[in-house]
Amino acid sequence: MARMGVFICWCGSNIAETVDCESVAQYASTLPGVVVGRSYKYMCSDPGQRLITDAIKEHNLSGVVVASCSPRMHEPTFRQAVATVGMNPYMLEMANIREHCSWVHTNRAEATEKAKDLVRVLVEKVKRNVPLADIEVPVTQRAMVIGAGIAGIQAALDVAAAGFEVALVERQPSIGGYMSMLDETFPTLDCSQCILTPRMVEIMQSKNITLHSFSEVEQVEGYVGNFEVSIRKKPRSVDMEKCTGCGDCWNNCMARNKIIAPSPVLPGEHTPPEVAEKVDAILATYTDPSGMVIGALQDVQREFNYLHPDALVYLSEKSEIPLARLYSVASFYNAFSLEPRGDNIIRTCLGTACHLRGGGRIADAISRELGIGDGETTKDMKFTLERVNCLGACALAPVVTVNNKYYGKMTIGKMMDVLEERAGQDAGQPQEQPQEATAV
Amino acid sequence: MAVATQLRTPEDLANLREQAATRRESKRMAIAICCGTGCRAQGSMDLVEEFRSRLEAEGLSDVEVRATGCHGFCERGPLVVIYPKEIFYCGVQDTDVADIVDKSIKGDELVESLLFRDPVSKNRFHLEHEVPFYAKQQRIVFRNNGKIDPVVISDYIAVDGYVALAKALTQMTPEAVIDEVEKSGLRGRGGGGFPTGRKWRICHGQPGDQKYIICNGDEGDPGAFMDRSIMEGDPHSVLEGMTIGAYAIGASRAYMYVRAEYPLAVANLEIALEQSRALGLLGEDIFGSGFSFDVEIVRGAGAFVCGEETGLISSIQGDIGSPRQRPPYPAESGLWDKPTNINNVETWANIPVIIDRGADWFASVGTEKSKGTKVFSLVGKVQNTGLVEVPMGTTLREIVYDIGGGILKKRKFKAVQTGGPSGGCIPEAMLDLPVDFEKLRDVGAMMGSGGLIVMDERTCMVDVAKYFLAFLVDESCGKCTPCREGLFQMHAILSRITEGRGREGDIELLQRLAAYVGESSLCQLGGTAPNPVLSTIRYFRDEYEAHIDHKRCPAGVCTSLVNFGIDSEACKGCGLCLKDCPTEAISGEKKAPHRIDETVCVQCGVCYEACPFDAITVE
Repeated sequence: MARMGVFICWCGSNIAETVDCESVAQYASTLPGVVVGRSYKYMCSDPGQRLITDAIKEHNLSGVVVASCSPRMHEPTFRQAVATVGMNPYMLEMANIREHCSWVHTNRAEATEKAKDLVRVLVEKVKRNVPLADIEVPVTQRAMVIGAGIAGIQAALDVAAAGFEVALVERQPSIGGYMSMLDETFPTLDCSQCILTPRMVEIMQSKNITLHSFSEVEQVEGYVGNFEVSIRKKPRSVDMEKCTGCGDCWNNCMARNKIIAPSPVLPGEHTPPEVAEKVDAILATYTDPSGMVIGALQDVQREFNYLHPDALVYLSEKSEIPLARLYSVASFYNAFSLEPRGDNIIRTCLGTACHLRGGGRIADAISRELGIGDGETTKDMKFTLERVNCLGACALAPVVTVNNKYYGKMTIGKMMDVLEERAGQDAGQPQEQPQEATAV
Repeated sequence: MAVATQLRTPEDLANLREQAATRRESKRMAIAICCGTGCRAQGSMDLVEEFRSRLEAEGLSDVEVRATGCHGFCERGPLVVIYPKEIFYCGVQDTDVADIVDKSIKGDELVESLLFRDPVSKNRFHLEHEVPFYAKQQRIVFRNNGKIDPVVISDYIAVDGYVALAKALTQMTPEAVIDEVEKSGLRGRGGGGFPTGRKWRICHGQPGDQKYIICNGDEGDPGAFMDRSIMEGDPHSVLEGMTIGAYAIGASRAYMYVRAEYPLAVANLEIALEQSRALGLLGEDIFGSGFSFDVEIVRGAGAFVCGEETGLISSIQGDIGSPRQRPPYPAESGLWDKPTNINNVETWANIPVIIDRGADWFASVGTEKSKGTKVFSLVGKVQNTGLVEVPMGTTLREIVYDIGGGILKKRKFKAVQTGGPSGGCIPEAMLDLPVDFEKLRDVGAMMGSGGLIVMDERTCMVDVAKYFLAFLVDESCGKCTPCREGLFQMHAILSRITEGRGREGDIELLQRLAAYVGESSLCQLGGTAPNPVLSTIRYFRDEYEAHIDHKRCPAGVCTSLVNFGIDSEACKGCGLCLKDCPTEAISGEKKAPHRIDETVCVQCGVCYEACPFDAITVE
């Protein structure tokens, strides 16, 4: 019969702020086979480790689960700790409730439930663990890197620089991968060739690297430290000794130079008809395609409440504006949203006047209340929050608009009333309307 | 609109003006209701309805109800002015309408409770021009705002609208128009202050038969909204200015680039365009002069950098708004590589007055090098916020204290920030500075588009610098490294200072980075970006030192460095703080001193602002 101990770490406030650690500990105590469940501020501290080792002795535990950070971080710490009191270190496992739970969630109740799940799973795993013994086996001190794109090249260079032999395998005739087709890199717009080409040369110069280009990995056998790999070298029909890389054969190759026409895609072939219809109506209002991108995207957004991907594809096909350009414009300007937005679009102004009069606090309060950040939408699709840089109604600071209705001189209390009122309205309310403007 | 026939000659215009003016004068009274965005937010459109139905029910057909553009005093909206007497009512609600009609329209009395009451002197004022907020202003750009209905073109014509256009097209050569504008000394109101006439002359002198005019209505500076009010409240004055400019330069097409956040401005401009085309004020052969011109509206999509000339051009062409290297300047090669002249909304709105009343008259207003008036948006911690138009050379003290009524809640003045994210903060010692382009630049600030943001003792200057940098990091287009990376690093340094992790030497590091960013950025966004940091270091170095050396935020703003408590002596137990606290950290019975639970408090400072007795303490 297993006798398990479960130890929940707060990690200061890292975990405890989002996960109710004490209730997780209490829950763990109720699991079958668990005889002790405790929580503590820092389990990795000396007193924390002592808590575990004392419990092992006191309750004669057969296995331990520590729910805390990633095993990468403290698994050695805890395994060494349990070994000091005679437990086989492999009878300890860690439930990662920090990186996999508290850091990535904001809702405390839901995060606590998830932490309980993670703990329960690990308890069941440890029950099935068997004591293991460390053994030593010889390791082949060579590495293989599959794929010689920029990542593979850099990996091969790093391993080679550490003094090990590397086999670098690339399917294409030339190394360099996708980066060799790019002009600039994201997001810094650095010259991609300037990064890539020196490394390509280095690969050829490195004594530790054997390059297998135009080759594919056929089979991998063995285990960590002792792999057997078969590589198929594709036929080149070129005498490598004599070839100078002049490129004449490449340019004159009959097979390569045969023009293969792409199968024609008809505009709208893959577009739902209701989307196509709306986009057609928008396009009909533009006579001059030059400079229409921003206006057309605004119209699409007004029609669908966001930039619907089907609509963008169709717009690109019909107008012959490259899809990449539409996305580049859409992601540059703040006014565009590539995600579906809620029935109520709340814009909180963070202009200077609003900042001074507490606009940021109102935005924070909305985030707290609805559990959404900037640009996010609630799950029920009722609210979207957008922080904007200035709404141009500075005399009424702080200003918030909901579907273009202006609320001036806002306070947190007034904002909560507005949210409550809007939340009570039925779904299917009119979405964002242009501000009423025509004079009577 | 009854008018349908095209105006072919200046005489046609004069006749129409006569008719429109007669119709306006035939009314015994006019009720002008501000329908700018600020007053609309406070319910002014309901007021218009209410007044109309009330007047109809009472059979008062000799009273006109006018839905006008912004009157400027947004703080006290909705505003109602009754002409011809200019009785000024503020904070009017629809329940007040019956009272106003009974007393001030049918009778000759005032509704005392709606009159403006000066918060300092406690005096009540009856008439618009007596109210201290308006008394010191001189309204040239805002000449019609509040007087005319922006969507009724005959209203604009009745107040001498399009007279300047007729004069320019029929009596002046393009060169004469440029001479006049140059002589007036008008300088660009968008920020740089480049002489408008000279700019026109350069574009005029370029070869090529296709030239463009652009009106920059991408008012991106946070804290500025004067261009919005002009576009919403007097769109024809901008169109008239642009048409005159196009004639002078030799352009036949224009684009009006309006911010995405200003839907009402777009709507009013679209109406104005249609009306002008119907009357032949836009289109082919205007006033029979052979000059043809038309304007198209382009809606922006929310990018601050599009306020920069070359970014704006790129955006009109339907691309991302990345600025490019200058030269070539837009005057040589701009929109679609054609010579292009860009001015901002306020600049264009000045043009008709200059042509109509003459360069000498315009040049008589203002200082030696800065002529005319400037509209400021006076906002922040000041009593009377709103739009203020004053002659160049007015001192900051006059603007903040005489017009603005001083600081809110009688707190202490700390600084005034001008020029948006490119500007700087000016301390109290310089309050008597006469405001013009040079004077502001000399003290490390700039005119910018005219945001004037007042800060009091509860404003943290390090936080302000961090705020502007966060804005600029967000808005940097990312094309050039100094701006993209430099601002990012400066923001990181300011963040650590405000979080109590500042290091010795951080101030000097900031200054060094600022110099690099300023000198090596591609466009003016990066070029002027260090200004808020440099000017706050220059005048408020002690605050930086308090953050770095003593881990203190003297203004009580930087949340990592403050702890709020309640002075049980001063607390009256009113419950205001308790009601507003977002985390329910404050507890206490009514009329007994409250307390703050420090474990729950998130240092948001709401209680600090809300407390009427200054009982919240800052450590």
